[in-house]
Amino acid sequence: MSTIAPARLVLAATGIRKQFPGVVALDDVSLRLRSGEIQALVGENGAGKSTLIKILTGVYQPDAGAVVIDGAPVRFGSARDALKAGISVVHQEHNLIPQFTVAENILLERIPTRLPQFVDYGAIHREARPWMSKVGLGMRSSKPVSELSAAQMQLVEIAKALSLEARILLLDEPTASITPHETGYLFRVLRELRAQGVAVVFVSHKLEEVYELADRVTVLRDGRNTALDYEIKGLTQDQMVTFMIGRSDVLAQLPGRPVHGEPVLEVRDLATEAGARGIRFTLHRGEILGLYGLVGAGRTELARAIIGELKVTGGEVIVRGRAAHIRDLRDALVRHRIGYVSENRKEEGLILLHSVLTNLSITIWRRLRLFGQWIRRSSEKAAVMPLVQQLDIRAHSLGQQVGTLSGGNQQKVSLGKWLAADVEVLIIDEPTIGIDIKTKSALHELIWNLAGGGKAIIVISSDMPEMVRLTDRILIMRNHRLVGEIANNHDYEEVSAAIMSRLS
Amino acid sequence: MVATARRMSPVALGLLIVDLMGALLLTVITPSFTSTYNLFITGRDFSILLLVALAQMIVLAIGQMNLSIGAIGGLVAIVESGLMVNAGTPVVIALGFGLLLGTACGVANGLLIHWTKVNSFILTLGTSYVYAGINLGITHATPFYHIPDVVSAFGQARTGAFPHVAIVTIVLTIALAVFLRQAVLGRQLLAVGGNAVAAALSGLPVRRVIVTAHGISGFFGAVAGTLLMAQLGEGQPTIGVTWILPSFAGPIIGGAVLSGGSAPLLGTVFAMVLVSLISDGLILVNANPYWVQFLVGALILAGVLLGRIRAVGLRDVFRLKSTVPGVAEQK
Repeated sequence: MSTIAPARLVLAATGIRKQFPGVVALDDVSLRLRSGEIQALVGENGAGKSTLIKILTGVYQPDAGAVVIDGAPVRFGSARDALKAGISVVHQEHNLIPQFTVAENILLERIPTRLPQFVDYGAIHREARPWMSKVGLGMRSSKPVSELSAAQMQLVEIAKALSLEARILLLDEPTASITPHETGYLFRVLRELRAQGVAVVFVSHKLEEVYELADRVTVLRDGRNTALDYEIKGLTQDQMVTFMIGRSDVLAQLPGRPVHGEPVLEVRDLATEAGARGIRFTLHRGEILGLYGLVGAGRTELARAIIGELKVTGGEVIVRGRAAHIRDLRDALVRHRIGYVSENRKEEGLILLHSVLTNLSITIWRRLRLFGQWIRRSSEKAAVMPLVQQLDIRAHSLGQQVGTLSGGNQQKVSLGKWLAADVEVLIIDEPTIGIDIKTKSALHELIWNLAGGGKAIIVISSDMPEMVRLTDRILIMRNHRLVGEIANNHDYEEVSAAIMSRLS
Repeated sequence: MVATARRMSPVALGLLIVDLMGALLLTVITPSFTSTYNLFITGRDFSILLLVALAQMIVLAIGQMNLSIGAIGGLVAIVESGLMVNAGTPVVIALGFGLLLGTACGVANGLLIHWTKVNSFILTLGTSYVYAGINLGITHATPFYHIPDVVSAFGQARTGAFPHVAIVTIVLTIALAVFLRQAVLGRQLLAVGGNAVAAALSGLPVRRVIVTAHGISGFFGAVAGTLLMAQLGEGQPTIGVTWILPSFAGPIIGGAVLSGGSAPLLGTVFAMVLVSLISDGLILVNANPYWVQFLVGALILAGVLLGRIRAVGLRDVFRLKSTVPGVAEQK
């Protein structure tokens, strides 16, 4: 399938493996880049794209495998080593110093000096301007970066990379935060760079962009190559999606479940400060409602608005038939019995240095207290023990630090604290992100059974097989609007096609 | 005993052993160390400085700092002695008002930090000058002499070598231990320190927790100021000005994580014992007492380094693994 022209190969990574505690992020992954070519690196969240980029730029060191540049094996000890080898990266979150001018940012690594150590400002601007015009930046070079738009900042980063004589340019989701018009301009710049012989890696979720821009594509799924260096022209969108998200038949079908009860949560014409408008849906007792969309569609922001952590600017949230004005998560939990499992369990879900016990009982300390303030350890333990069994949390003891558990067990703990609090509505953001397939299956079963027991659940996920397997109904979100609703019959081909048709 | 030792953190256990060895060493080389009077003086200083260290520990537990503990202690001592000496206010009311004032100063710190989101280091640096400024404005730097006898008698009282002011310290230390371990607010305090976002997203009242930690800090600083006033027998405006070093020395040598989430009470106690032994020992062997600062400073650095080693391992402390911040945590 792949045709290699060895003469033009500038970078070859083979057999890359990278393991973090509890999860293999990359397993036997390869990548080939040629000068004058745009290679798309595609995959779902958690597929390992970012880890691979970090290895190629020297931030991480691989546990196994080799990176060869121009035929010579290299080993990067730091990001500096990679820069010296001609590899530059444009990150999603910009690596610029906002208070510095455009010119200073472009030449940051080697500010020109007159006499030793005296900055030559004239030279900075003189030297920066050609690089700016190369990427079409028309503003004055003395403008502070903080006054630029996201797209302009991106171009500054590309100019910086070019000024460092980058022969390999990695762009991590460059279109995630810019407008379609700006995207068109960015693509023109990238095509020009390709014509000049730069090897470009373009990381994206958006297939239409991949088809528009890239020559070749490498796909990762769950830390492995599902496609290596394929020519884009020969691939249909369906094939690409299959490479990205795989088949649903890895996971067995879940058993039947009783039908839903009365409405628990109703959202009416909700508008939020994050940009959502006209969001309407109803969640019933015993139902699992899916919220599907690509990264940046506004799903997490919608969830956060419902639990009161983002400002609602219009419309209503109705809980058990009554209009609820939820101030924050505390209010959601105490008054409305709504829980929220963050997609970011390490930063937002768990207190990693504290014990399993603390992380599970944190939501019920209020309930356990005696005489106003006091908690008895014995009653605290008694309250969480059944959960440890129900969720099958594998820990040496309740006192074990949560940070030392595997990803799957950590996720069980961040789910478990809401079961301890016995919430009625549970919003779960990316329930199985970064979790191996076996634990994933167990978590699905668990969520399924919770709904069977009468909980109303919203699952946010970018994982299509998960959506199709786990939910009863799927809402499709795009650009902060709901663009469709599908009754899920668990037929993967049919449902995924229906979802895809509403996303494009 | 064995069971208690096993539950003790390695840092606390190590400090306990060092304390015992240090005490043994001083006993052997200077006969005056074990004299009743020396033990009384050392114990009395220790009792006050431990409260100062605990005042810092409780704020470090939420990942913040309080640079105004000394200023609160000084202001409280001045207001109490001023009320008693100049206004003839009854002792109980004067002291009660003083402790309330100290707590209020702490609460003000907490509220200001929560509202303004200004870094606690800078904010409490600012309030420390405000509190110290009020102190100097009231006193013009002259002490209030002749505080009521009951108060100064308590400050001097002892049974054998045991200073009576230590009773206050013991009671408050045990109360703090129980609070952190058993009270809802205490648990919430450690949780907010461990991860404020996760705590908020688990429904904890973050503002109340921050204010509580600073309130306790202010209260402990106020008690320390009151005890020192009692011991000196007068309201000295300079009370508290030297507390910044011991306040950090205790918790940091004792094993506190600077980013929050831990409150090593036992470690702080044993660290302060070590600090007391060092200052007492240097005086007893007629060494230049100014070297105390040097030694305590070096111990703080050792404590911080030990904390880093425990967090990331010996190898990575000295060999910076990555130049990109934030990557070290992603081990």
